[in-house]
Amino acid sequence: MEIKRRDFIKLVGGTSVSLAVGGCAMDEVLEIPDRLIHRVRTGPGIETWKNTICGLCPGGCGISVRMVDGLPVSIRGNPHYPVNLGGMCSLGLNALHMLYHPDRLKGPMKRTANPGSGRWEPITWDEALKIIAERLTELRGGQKSRQVAVLGYDERGLMEQHIARFMKAYGSPNYFRFSPSQNDMVPHSLLHGHSRIPAYDFLNAKLIVSFGSNFLGEGYSPVYYTKLYSHHRELQTQYIQVESRMSLTAANADKWVPIRPGTYGALALGIAYVLIREELYDARFVGGSTFGFEDWADRSGSRHLGFRSIVLGNYYPEKVSEITGVPTAAILELGRLLGNTPKSLVLGDGGAVDNTNGTFAQMAVQSLNALLGNYEAEGGVFFTDQAPVRPLPDVEVDAVAAAGSRSEPLTSSRDVPFPLSDFSIESFAKNILADSPYPLSVLFLYHGNPLFQTLNHLDFAGALKKIPLVVSFDSIINETSEYAHLILPEHTFLESWGEISDVPTVGFSHFGIQQPVVEPLHDTRGTGDVFTELARRVGGTVKSAAAFTDYREEVRYAAEGLFRSGQGAVVAKGQKQPWIEFLQRRGWQTGRYATFDEFWEQLLLNGGWWNPARKKKNLDELFTTPSGKFEFFSQRLNSEFNRLLLKLDETGSSRNLESVLSRLNISARGDNAMMPHHEAVPYEGDRPMYLVTFQVMPNRDGAGAALPLMQELFGYSVHSPWESWAEIHPETAAAAGVSNDDWVWVESSIGNVRVKAKITPGIMPDVVAIPFGMGHTSYGRYARGHGVNPNTIMRNLHDLVSGKPALEATKVRISRTS
Amino acid sequence: MAKWAMAIDLDRCTGCGACMAACKMENNVPIVEPDEALQGRVMHWMDMITEYGGDYPGIEIKRMPKPCFHCDNPPCTRVCPVGATYRNEEGLVAQVYHRCIGCRYCMVACPFTAKVFNWKDPAWIEGASTCFNPDVSRRMVGVVEKCTFCSHRLMKVKETADEEDRPINDGEYVPACAEICPADAIYFGDIEDKGSSVYKMSGDYRASRVMEDLGVEPKVYYLVKRTR
Amino acid sequence: MPMLNWPRVARFTVNIILFVMPVFMVSCAFVSDDDVKQPIAYNHRVHIENAGLKCQECHLYVETMASATLPSIEICRTCHETAPLSESQEELALLKYVSEEKEIPWVNIYQVPDHVYFSHRRHVVGGELECSACHGMVSAMTAPVTSAFLEVTMENCMDCHRSKNVSNDCLSCHR
Repeated sequence: MEIKRRDFIKLVGGTSVSLAVGGCAMDEVLEIPDRLIHRVRTGPGIETWKNTICGLCPGGCGISVRMVDGLPVSIRGNPHYPVNLGGMCSLGLNALHMLYHPDRLKGPMKRTANPGSGRWEPITWDEALKIIAERLTELRGGQKSRQVAVLGYDERGLMEQHIARFMKAYGSPNYFRFSPSQNDMVPHSLLHGHSRIPAYDFLNAKLIVSFGSNFLGEGYSPVYYTKLYSHHRELQTQYIQVESRMSLTAANADKWVPIRPGTYGALALGIAYVLIREELYDARFVGGSTFGFEDWADRSGSRHLGFRSIVLGNYYPEKVSEITGVPTAAILELGRLLGNTPKSLVLGDGGAVDNTNGTFAQMAVQSLNALLGNYEAEGGVFFTDQAPVRPLPDVEVDAVAAAGSRSEPLTSSRDVPFPLSDFSIESFAKNILADSPYPLSVLFLYHGNPLFQTLNHLDFAGALKKIPLVVSFDSIINETSEYAHLILPEHTFLESWGEISDVPTVGFSHFGIQQPVVEPLHDTRGTGDVFTELARRVGGTVKSAAAFTDYREEVRYAAEGLFRSGQGAVVAKGQKQPWIEFLQRRGWQTGRYATFDEFWEQLLLNGGWWNPARKKKNLDELFTTPSGKFEFFSQRLNSEFNRLLLKLDETGSSRNLESVLSRLNISARGDNAMMPHHEAVPYEGDRPMYLVTFQVMPNRDGAGAALPLMQELFGYSVHSPWESWAEIHPETAAAAGVSNDDWVWVESSIGNVRVKAKITPGIMPDVVAIPFGMGHTSYGRYARGHGVNPNTIMRNLHDLVSGKPALEATKVRISRTS
Repeated sequence: MAKWAMAIDLDRCTGCGACMAACKMENNVPIVEPDEALQGRVMHWMDMITEYGGDYPGIEIKRMPKPCFHCDNPPCTRVCPVGATYRNEEGLVAQVYHRCIGCRYCMVACPFTAKVFNWKDPAWIEGASTCFNPDVSRRMVGVVEKCTFCSHRLMKVKETADEEDRPINDGEYVPACAEICPADAIYFGDIEDKGSSVYKMSGDYRASRVMEDLGVEPKVYYLVKRTR
Repeated sequence: MPMLNWPRVARFTVNIILFVMPVFMVSCAFVSDDDVKQPIAYNHRVHIENAGLKCQECHLYVETMASATLPSIEICRTCHETAPLSESQEELALLKYVSEEKEIPWVNIYQVPDHVYFSHRRHVVGGELECSACHGMVSAMTAPVTSAFLEVTMENCMDCHRSKNVSNDCLSCHR
């Protein structure tokens, strides 16, 4: 100790490097290039701030990066950006560690041995692109352009268009995304006719009942909702959370209603029963703007039961109570509270939709908003306008591309399941393994980590092994990119151009601009530019997808639409919503920019554009269903079933709706199947506990695990750093002889995981909850080997309609490890 | 003379933990090795306390961010044998790392366990890529550290205010946690200034301090509805 | 509570002997090291008297930032672009750095430890101190600085603060 201290004192006297920067051995610890370190060592310590948008989750918070002599040293929220107004979450605050991460790839890599061997050798960009471009050219020459696929993740807006344009010009129908929120829009499209996720007028609502939606912790934009929530505390808005586990949102709600997993839809219908029976629903909206509420007759004269009859006949509170475990009195109370409180709002997500019956449950939850007449009402549900970005120019499509794009996508199932999913990794893996309807030759993996995040890891791993060329853009090698042949590492979001606009559920249209705050630290490239370069190298009409010199130009081009629209304003200090609305009503120009160049400059300086003024829509222009109304009876789902019926006809099977439903594993029969209903989840009977999972703020979708600080904060709520845990109710723990911090086995029919028990009263007695995000076997030195991945013990079940993973459909048993 | 104080509105706070991360990044607080962390040696200047109440299903969970309370009558400073911790004129309880001999008496004396100890050389775990805040020195093995109310920010704010020959404005000097709180739940300022938000908050009917009966006069006020 | 002062004084003294003194000794030993060799035999006098340069024309940020900064090669370049201005061998060495776009590896003599916040701006502008108060008569120096005029020690800082009635509270400088 004594000696060490003396050593230290020497260090203080001897090797401090700079007045401005307090690092004594910074270069040894940081992965910062020498040129930057030199600048910081000798520089004056000039502090600058640069605005951009956080890229670590889909939330799209505006951030200000603090730089000392050009080196990013910390991040704070952009106080003027309307999504987060200066607020931040722990993950975003830690984004610089992603920039300086020691396991970031320094340049393109080529795998030299088996997947998972960790044996890679560096390769130049030119060589890597040459290999890919040659393969792409060869396939295209052989009319096999459809054998190329891109598996994206959560990209939206411009990047999605960018990849889609490449695939269109090249000639493949196989561009998919698989993010956790993938297929979220399916139930909405069945009810509303269009695939837009509704936004909720939280600001004016007086009562918010959330079915499983942990919007403060796991929503699209937790910081946005946290701002709204804290604002509400002054307005006495009431929050009620229906959930099996006391999530962050439930813990902050005024009331928590525990519910058995997989029964959210039944509760929503039980509440509908109360609203209908006690005539607390909005008869004007239901009468004028909905379809299928009352009994009705179709064109052939057949009678159909309406929503009212079905709900009154099947979902009386005693029965619902039996299904859900929610006391009858509580159901009545919830229904009456919703019906009698003006501006009451209902939303569903998370556990309510992450199950085999998720689509029907979400339909049931949204039906409550229809009964309450919430559409376009103050404190209700609405659909935001899209930011008026300039559409990208069309690409040229030659005969090869046209034929390729017309092919059946590789995700469409030979079998019937998941009629409405945009993408199901289940079908995708099966098709690749079966070369059906054609083999896959090249797969690009853009973001995401399907082998960690999805349920059927083994199938998809097999599929990856089979594909001759897998290209990943990851900057840190993860479970999935272990299988890639080539990795073309992408810039972090702090080094690249991009935009994050119109985040779903955020209540106004906005456009956030991502710009490099620092020159790239390593030999990485933006993926937008890589696709452009590939388009150039393949040549011919594919080159039309490379219309812009670089991705920055493309972002600039898109942003010009905002300027030309004359709407909204660049975010700036002191802009408050009412003020802007006032100015716009008066027809005043809110921005101080005469030319697009000035607009662009302001955009980069301030970080984004927004338009809080939204024209109220008429109810008859709201829905694009066949009836033009909110459909309790989904005609789209009905025609989808009929389409499948024809498909079954071709294969010579039996010919009625029942056969379609049974092939889909849907237990409802007749009109019920097209309407919101409770579909029992096929739980296994021999295990007593339901397994539920949740995301924590420092980790989100598993990506935070690469960051040491986020690993330390992973279990901040239960004091469990670097470790997974299982939340168990005290009674259950006592019965199983488990004490706090004991190691327990959580065992399903698929497998088991060993976790620490955390005894908490905030969970139902027959539910065990394990956080998602740990248990990596790859993804850098800090992620690997800590905690468990609960997805590995889940049954491979998906939403019967949308194909979304069923994360709460597994039952488990717990036991102490001896 | 200003007297710096904090008020945390627990009715607004959701317990998201952003303040903990902001604090660690701002103050170069070491990330300890995972096995050390599991032994309870995690270093948080801003910690999060979880309290459970009520009977199932009427369970209440309240999470409470907990920085150093910068007591006006601090017990920790009295026990320090080497004068490494003291309360200055502006009410900040300071920790002088280079005087600290690591006896940890102050950690024992603090009723709120606000202090943490560097059990190891702060290597930030092997190869950790941490970007350091140049405004805050890094500590060494064998010393106690704790929340400073980001006093390094105060130095700079004072310099600017003096240069412009004016007093420090309310909200000009705030610690990192208050700056980024997504729920705007943390108020910070000069409690002697009757126009400051923290003065108003500390007088709110919901305001109280932790373990007020100890007489240590904490300068962190918690606001919570009395009924909860 | 005057009685409490005695133990405090005693503690303070013990501390100085045990901990602060070694810091001084070690740091003094370092900064006054005669072995310091600067890469170029820079002549302050020539630049100040003959070329008429002001301190802040090379130490750019002395009035605006915490750190005054050593000049970067770009600043040298504004005068020493291509042809030498003198017959000095040292200037040729400089021109080599300039043409290669390499920074000159000056040995930093006045180093403040990282746990101290020292602001030139505050001392020069706010405190109205002359540069020479700490750095000596630089205008008369014909050789580059190899040792500190005023050693960077806490004692020196505090003496001056005391005489000018400036706060000596730890948190005024330590971070």
